[in-house]
Amino acid sequence: MTIAATAGRTAINPRAAVLAYLAVSGIVLLLMMLLGLTMRLAQAQWIDVSPDFFYVVMTMHGAGMVGIAGLCSAAVMWHFVRRHVPVSTAVFLTNLVFFLIGAVLILGAGFIGGFGAAWTFLFPLPAHSGGLWSVNAAAAYLVGLIFIGVGFLLLHLDIARGILSVYGGLGAALGVKQAFGLAHGEEGPPPAVTASTMALIANILGILVGAAVLIISLVNLYVPSFTFNALAAKNLIYYFGHTFINVTIYMAVIAVYEILPIYAHRAWKTNWAFYLAWVLSTVFVLTVYTHHLLMDFAMPTWTLVAGQVISWLSGLPVLLVTAFGTLTVVYRSGLRWNPAAALVFLGVAGWAIGVIPAIADGTIAVNSVMHNTQWVPGHFHTYLLLGMVAMVLGFMTYLTNPQSRYGVAWLGYWLYLLGGVVFVLAFLSAGSASVPRRYAVHVAQWLPYDRIGSIGAACAIAGVLILIVRFFVGMRTAASAQDPSG
Amino acid sequence: MIQDVVWSVSIILMGALALVFIWVATGASVAIANYGPVIDAAYRLRVWLFGIALIVLIGTNYKTVGELPYINTLPPLPAAAVQPVQVVGQQWMWTITPNTFKVGQTAEFQVTSKDVNHGFGLYDPEFRIVAEVQAMPGYTNVLRYQFTEPGTYQVLCLEYCGVAHHAMQAQIKVTDH
Repeated sequence: MTIAATAGRTAINPRAAVLAYLAVSGIVLLLMMLLGLTMRLAQAQWIDVSPDFFYVVMTMHGAGMVGIAGLCSAAVMWHFVRRHVPVSTAVFLTNLVFFLIGAVLILGAGFIGGFGAAWTFLFPLPAHSGGLWSVNAAAAYLVGLIFIGVGFLLLHLDIARGILSVYGGLGAALGVKQAFGLAHGEEGPPPAVTASTMALIANILGILVGAAVLIISLVNLYVPSFTFNALAAKNLIYYFGHTFINVTIYMAVIAVYEILPIYAHRAWKTNWAFYLAWVLSTVFVLTVYTHHLLMDFAMPTWTLVAGQVISWLSGLPVLLVTAFGTLTVVYRSGLRWNPAAALVFLGVAGWAIGVIPAIADGTIAVNSVMHNTQWVPGHFHTYLLLGMVAMVLGFMTYLTNPQSRYGVAWLGYWLYLLGGVVFVLAFLSAGSASVPRRYAVHVAQWLPYDRIGSIGAACAIAGVLILIVRFFVGMRTAASAQDPSG
Repeated sequence: MIQDVVWSVSIILMGALALVFIWVATGASVAIANYGPVIDAAYRLRVWLFGIALIVLIGTNYKTVGELPYINTLPPLPAAAVQPVQVVGQQWMWTITPNTFKVGQTAEFQVTSKDVNHGFGLYDPEFRIVAEVQAMPGYTNVLRYQFTEPGTYQVLCLEYCGVAHHAMQAQIKVTDH
C-alpha cells in the first residue's frame, strides 16, 4: 500500500495532522516541564508552595507527562508507519480529540477539584482524600484517563488493521520468522512496521488492563462498599502504567531508524538480531512490570525474582541492538551534524545511559534501600527527558528544517542537553543519599540537590522552549513540504 | 553502604557509555568509503559485548538473588532471638510497638496499613535508608532487620499517601545496652 493510496482514504492532510499532534505536544510538554520546575523550586525552598497544591501539581505533572509522551511518540510512529500500511487520518485525529477531552477533565480534577492522588492513583487513595478533593474530582480524573486510553486504543486498533491488511499477521509484521532464522533478515518488515506492531501489542493489552482498574476505582468512589484487593489493583495499575510509558520510547525510536540514516547516508541494516531484539522487547515489556512491586513482600517471590531478571535482560536489546546500531550507522559516516540528527542521536544515548540506573533499581538488593527515593525519577528522566523527548524533538526539527536558523537550534540543543544532564544527576545523587521522591517539604540537608536540580531544570526548559518555538516558526511551511532527504 | 556502591558503579558505567557516544559523534565527520568492513567489525565486537554482558548479567543475578529480603527466603530464627514489632500505617502516622531496641537485636517488623498504601522506610542515625517495605491494607509484610549501631532511627513514609505524606514520620531508639 502506498502513501497515495493511504492519502486517498481521507480529505484531511495527514502531514498537517502530525503537525497538530506535535503542536499540542510542544505546548503541553512545556507546561508540564514548568510544573516540574515548580516542584523542584518548592523543594529547594526558593518558592513557597503549600503541600496540598504541591501534590496537585505533582499529580498533574505525572499524568500530563505520561499522556503527552504517548501523544508525541504516537505522532512519530504514525508519520512513518503510514508509508507502509494504510491507516486512517480520521482515527488519528480522533485520538487527539479524545486526548484533549481527557486532558481537560484531568486538569479540571486537579486545578479546580484539588485532586492529588499522584498519577498512579494507587487504590484506594482516590477515595481517601482527607477532605482535600471530592468524589467527583477523583472521578473526573479517572474518566479523563479513560478517555485518553480509549483514544489510544482506537489508534492502535486502526494501525493493527492496516498492518494485518498488508502483512497478514502480527507475527509477520514483528519479524518473528526473521528473528528465529526462518527467513532472511533483509526480507523482513521495515523497522517502523516492526516497532508499531510491538507498540500496539503491548499498548492494547496494557490499556485494557488499565481500563479495568480505572472502572474498579470509579465504582469504589461512588459505592465504597464495593472494594477490591489493593495488591491486585497495584498489579493492574503498574502493568498498565509501566507498559504505556515504556512503549512511548519504542514508538519514538522509529524517528532514529528513519532520520539518522538519511543524514548519515547509510541504511539501517535489519537482520535476525534486530528482529529478535524487538520480539524479546515485546515479551519483556509485557512481563517486567513486577520490578515496581519489589517491596511488596506479599507478592509471590518468584514474580519478584522474575521482575529483577527480566529488568536486566531487557537492557540487552536496547544496548546491543538499538544503541549499537546507532553508533554503527554514525561511525565515520561523514555525517555533517545538524540539530535534527544530533537530537535523535542524543535520544539513543539518553535511553541507553538511562538503562544503567534503571537496571540497578530493578535489582532487589538495591531496591531495598533505593525504592521510591529520587533515584527513581533520576533514572526515568534520563531515558525519557534525554531519551524519548530528544527523539521527538529531533523529529520536530526534522519536519521543520529551516537551515538558516541552525544557530538558534544549536543554542536550544546545548541548553537542553547540559541542563538535562545536571537535572538528572541531581536526582540520582539525591536518591543515593536516600532523599525520598514525592515529598512536598524537604529538610535542610537535601536542599543542595534540589537547588542544583532546579538550575538544571530551568536550563533544560529554556533549551526546549527554543526548540519548540523554532518548530512553531517553521510549522506553516512544513505542512506543505516534503520530508528532508539529507 | 549499598547506595554508595550503586552510585559509583552507575556513574562510571554511564560516563563510559557517554564517552563512547561522544567519541563516535566527534569522529562522524570523517567518512569511510567502504561501509562493509565497518559492519563486519561491528558485528564481531557485538558478539564479544554480548558475551561480556551475559556473564555480568548471570553473575550479578546469581549473587543478588541469593540475598533476598523476603521473610520466606530467610533462615528461621529461634523465637527468643527475634523481637516481633507491630507496625501500622494510616494517614498520616505510624504506630510502632515496641519502638526501642538494643544494638545487636533483630526485629521482625510486621507491617500493615489501615487505609491506603504506605511505605515503611527505616533510616539510620546518619539519615540513610537501611531497609524498607510496603505497608498495604489487607496484608502484613514482614521485614527482618538487625540493629547494628545505636542512635535514633527515623521511619519515613516511602509511598505517596496524600497531603501529609511527607510528615508521616516516627522514631525508633536503639541503645547500647
